[in-house]
Amino acid sequence: MSASVEICNVSKLFGNGVRALDKVSLTVAAGEVVCIVGPSGSGKSTLLRTVNRLETVTDGDVLIDGESIHTASKQLNALRQKAGMVFQQFNLFPHLSVIDNITLAPLKVCAEPVETVRQRAQQLLDRVGLGDRGDSYPAQLSGGQQQRVAIARALAMQPEVMLFDEPTSALDPEMVGGVLDVMKALASDGMTMLVVTHEMGFARAVADRVVFMESGRIEQIAQPEAFFEPANGSRLDTFLGQVLR
Amino acid sequence: MKSRWFWHGVYGFILLALAVSIYAASRTVDYTWRWDRVPDYIVAYEDADLRTTLTGIVEITDGRVQIIGTQDAAAAESFADLDEILVEDGDYVFDGDVIGSRSGWRIGPLAWGLVVTLQLSILALLFSVPIGLLAGLGRVSTNPAARNLAATYVEIIRGTPLLVQIFIFYFFVGTVLSLSRMTAGVAALAVFTGAYIAEIVRAGIESIPKGQMEAARSLGMSYGQAMRHVILPQAMRRTLPPMAGQLINLIKDSSLVSVIAITDLTKAGREVVNSTFSPFEIWFTVAGMYLVLTASLSLVIRRFELRLARADG
Repeated sequence: MSASVEICNVSKLFGNGVRALDKVSLTVAAGEVVCIVGPSGSGKSTLLRTVNRLETVTDGDVLIDGESIHTASKQLNALRQKAGMVFQQFNLFPHLSVIDNITLAPLKVCAEPVETVRQRAQQLLDRVGLGDRGDSYPAQLSGGQQQRVAIARALAMQPEVMLFDEPTSALDPEMVGGVLDVMKALASDGMTMLVVTHEMGFARAVADRVVFMESGRIEQIAQPEAFFEPANGSRLDTFLGQVLR
Repeated sequence: MKSRWFWHGVYGFILLALAVSIYAASRTVDYTWRWDRVPDYIVAYEDADLRTTLTGIVEITDGRVQIIGTQDAAAAESFADLDEILVEDGDYVFDGDVIGSRSGWRIGPLAWGLVVTLQLSILALLFSVPIGLLAGLGRVSTNPAARNLAATYVEIIRGTPLLVQIFIFYFFVGTVLSLSRMTAGVAALAVFTGAYIAEIVRAGIESIPKGQMEAARSLGMSYGQAMRHVILPQAMRRTLPPMAGQLINLIKDSSLVSVIAITDLTKAGREVVNSTFSPFEIWFTVAGMYLVLTASLSLVIRRFELRLARADG
């Protein structure tokens, strides 16, 4: 059901000479939840996007379940199905109803029977607490609801890894809880999760490990208890001081 | 409320003043207006002579005229429902002789021209949309060959006058591929309009946030699937208004094919002017007919847009 992710020595050099990632390595075991935190521009979103190759790499590779993402170009679409992604801006398809948003990819990519897919979509909607909103359009939902639909949409492809790119950053504060609850439930179901977030409370409560990135490098990896332990005036301390204030 | 009616009055007054001044201006040049002649060139109730295409003997039975060919005994021609018969049983007639006449409603040259203009526009539209869609997709493609080809096409077509393109299509392409006038005209219009549609399609695709493509690809869809199911349906909705404008332009641009002797509305107008010496009336009429065409089209499109907007919820 869930797979491991190995990020091996990944470097990313943008066209303008900016080194977004500098030899980053990180192994996430199957079923593990890893939160990535860090100041903006530290490369955490870029790192996440290399995992399903929305971002190409200059050097290095990413393995999902042992399969290379950045060399196998032919089965890229098949490999991408293993990694569901949730975006900061939800990116729901505005011209499709909620249920169609969820069923589009399973129907078109996997050519599964309509009935199976619709049933699964309805189960997923129930799971994210929106069972009665299948016929609504994204514009009729609140941000938090849209993000929960986006999670259901990603899950409909039955991924083995879930990538979250600041899933709560575009939400009004009162909407954040609902989305985090869905993510917590997903984590306790044993899904492998890579989460870029500013929600330190979530990281502390759910993550198996927390990664601190800065300037395209991983500065620190630790279990939450150790990670949030105040210590020795490092860069991490300054950062935590700013976000936890 | 009161002031709004005042300004509607002002609008009406200015239109009236314009009409009066156009009339006054025409009075200063010794010109006789003969509007009464115009309708005949659109539709007319008239007698039309019917002529034989054979050389032979006339046979009349129950008001039905038959010509039996003398050169080729198998050839025969018959005319029925004649209002007036100008030959008698047993007459010997030659190819081109008038047999009789039939009266009825005739479509005048201007109406025929309108039909040809419509035909040209619709045919050109049918071809220009796929051309434009293909070139527009090429413009946003990451493949350099497709991208550069599409860009070259659009640059060449938008950088040269349509009139010159029509000449090239007629005299060069038309000669090489031995195309008829109509085909050459439709091809020139379709290729020309396609370039503009390509730019409209490109703008439409580029107006869709990048996240839509990323979301679709992250779900495992191929580029083509994402385009077809996610990007294009959204882009098409946004391109509808400029596309409609382009369609109206196409109807107007089609007037230029009259230079390769296609009898569209403009050419018909010119021919009618030559035979009536009433250029003022005829050209105003031709303009009016184009306006009716484009205005009714705008109306239909407006309706369609409103329906789409409602469907958007």
